[in-house]
Amino acid sequence: MEEQRLITLENIHKEYDGVTVLDNINLYIRKKEFVTLLGPSGCGKTTTLRIIGGFENADSGRVIFDGHDISGIPPYKRRVNTVFQKYALFPHLNVKDNIAFGLKLKKIPKDEIARRVDYMLDLVNLKGFGKRSVDSLSGGQQQRIAIARALVNEPEVLLLDEPLGALDLKLRKGMQLELKSMQQRLGITFLYVTHDQEEALTMSDTIVVMNGGKILQIGTPKSIYDEPNNAFVANFIGESNIFPGIMVHDELAHFCGGDFPCVDSGFGEDQPVDVVIRPEDVLLVGEDVGQVTGVIKSVLFKGVHYEMMIDAGHSTWKVHSTTMQPEGSRVGLAVVPFNIHIMHPMENAQPREEEAQ
Amino acid sequence: MKTIKRIYLGLILLFLYIPIAVLIIQSFNAGESRAKWEGFSFIWYGKLFEDPNIMNALWITVSIAVLAALFSTILGTLAAIGIHAMRKRPQALMLTLNNIPMTMPDIVTGISLMLLFIFTKVERGYVTMLLAHITFDVPYVILSVMPKLQQMNKNSYEAALDLGATPMYALFHVILPEVMPGVITGAMLAFTLSLDDFTISYFTTSPLVQNLSTLIYSQARKGIKPTMNALSALMFVVLLVLLLLVNKRTDKQEQ
Repeated sequence: MEEQRLITLENIHKEYDGVTVLDNINLYIRKKEFVTLLGPSGCGKTTTLRIIGGFENADSGRVIFDGHDISGIPPYKRRVNTVFQKYALFPHLNVKDNIAFGLKLKKIPKDEIARRVDYMLDLVNLKGFGKRSVDSLSGGQQQRIAIARALVNEPEVLLLDEPLGALDLKLRKGMQLELKSMQQRLGITFLYVTHDQEEALTMSDTIVVMNGGKILQIGTPKSIYDEPNNAFVANFIGESNIFPGIMVHDELAHFCGGDFPCVDSGFGEDQPVDVVIRPEDVLLVGEDVGQVTGVIKSVLFKGVHYEMMIDAGHSTWKVHSTTMQPEGSRVGLAVVPFNIHIMHPMENAQPREEEAQ
Repeated sequence: MKTIKRIYLGLILLFLYIPIAVLIIQSFNAGESRAKWEGFSFIWYGKLFEDPNIMNALWITVSIAVLAALFSTILGTLAAIGIHAMRKRPQALMLTLNNIPMTMPDIVTGISLMLLFIFTKVERGYVTMLLAHITFDVPYVILSVMPKLQQMNKNSYEAALDLGATPMYALFHVILPEVMPGVITGAMLAFTLSLDDFTISYFTTSPLVQNLSTLIYSQARKGIKPTMNALSALMFVVLLVLLLLVNKRTDKQEQ
């Protein structure tokens, strides 16, 4: 499987003015994979991208590209292209010349340049915009031109730095789907940076969750959502109830004053653990049949569901439900074993698991 | 109240422009006397262009202004790009260092340059005057290019490298085209400043190499000839037009 790895980061370390921004980053990216670096601002995701693009150099560690160490090689000699957060189109060139910029540098014949530029304009649904000035385009159109300008060079990897960050919600959703389908059609490896967890879940084959310059978890969107490694990941990806608890023995956890059968094992007996329960997985049942009971403190209408905060003595539960219970009423809470996720408290990053080998 | 405001403003403008108006009117006076109007005439303008001293000074003034503008624009633009790429603290330091010479009185700049040339045993003349003009022009060029660099998308240069451009190619095909309006404004400003400089030129040239303003000064000490009126009037008009052009450009860029 080794030859499938297009990019490998080995022990990347980076500091700015004595502050560590990347702490021992190890990561590999397979050919044709859509990998997303996800984390809050300042977590090091953009710096990681810039190191792969060649705009920054790591203080230590290696960047392996297609079997060769490319650390220290300038950006214009790397077979990657970047879509920048604020487009960075060249305002003195028209749309066509922006897209043709990289091809002209490669001394490609004029008629082929014209052909490939037209193909790209078609691909990003901006046929006939070639002669327009970039300032006359909307944000979404500029973003498409930036993507076309990068893709026309047929890079092996496309680096995207929060490319949809400046677009409004509806446009963003549309572009997410377009980008994903473009990636699948062209068979290009995408490395995508975002702080938007929903975006990451929608588009990625693999999500890399980062915080504080460290990788916290690497996995498929589903595995990261269903089985977060620690409280940070659980909180960052979707909404969660996180409770401190005790693993009584395999498949039985005790938290919030109740015993909950679960499906996790291997944590030992009477060990402290963190328990994650998604708000949509909490069932509201009769007071007498709940695993714990509580009083509804607040009800918020969220469109698809109601969000209720329930006070259960020493803990507060966030519950999403399509049926509303009046404020102040006593309810029972229940969770099916499969929906209880047990984590080691404050667990650190685990190496990426080889799936299905 | 409104009339008082208008009269006040009128008075200020009157005091500001009366000397220049007198000068311009005098330059059309047919007689040599400054006290008596002897009819309208272009005679002094004609004489102006027959005087070899004045024509020589005009050539020196214009050639120095062109060369000073050219060199200071190249130096200043490259310096601005370099300063822009610095980190915050050294950048602030460099901009302060850049501003100090502009606030310094011309006479201090002039005398210090003169002392430098004497100290280094460089004979004063055309070259020293040119060097002095380049020196006082550079900060102004930096100051007019800087805002354009700051307006530029900070990823533009990186985007060019990313698409395969060498740093040199990116400089000429991405950065320079984007900051060109600021570069042109800087060049025009440098040209104008060089054209109308007296003090610094006076201290950095020899009596044998005179530009227009030092020539006017040395002639005026012997008593003002009417040709000097015509020359001053011409310089005023040329500088006025240049300044209007520079101001118009800066206004447009700020929009």
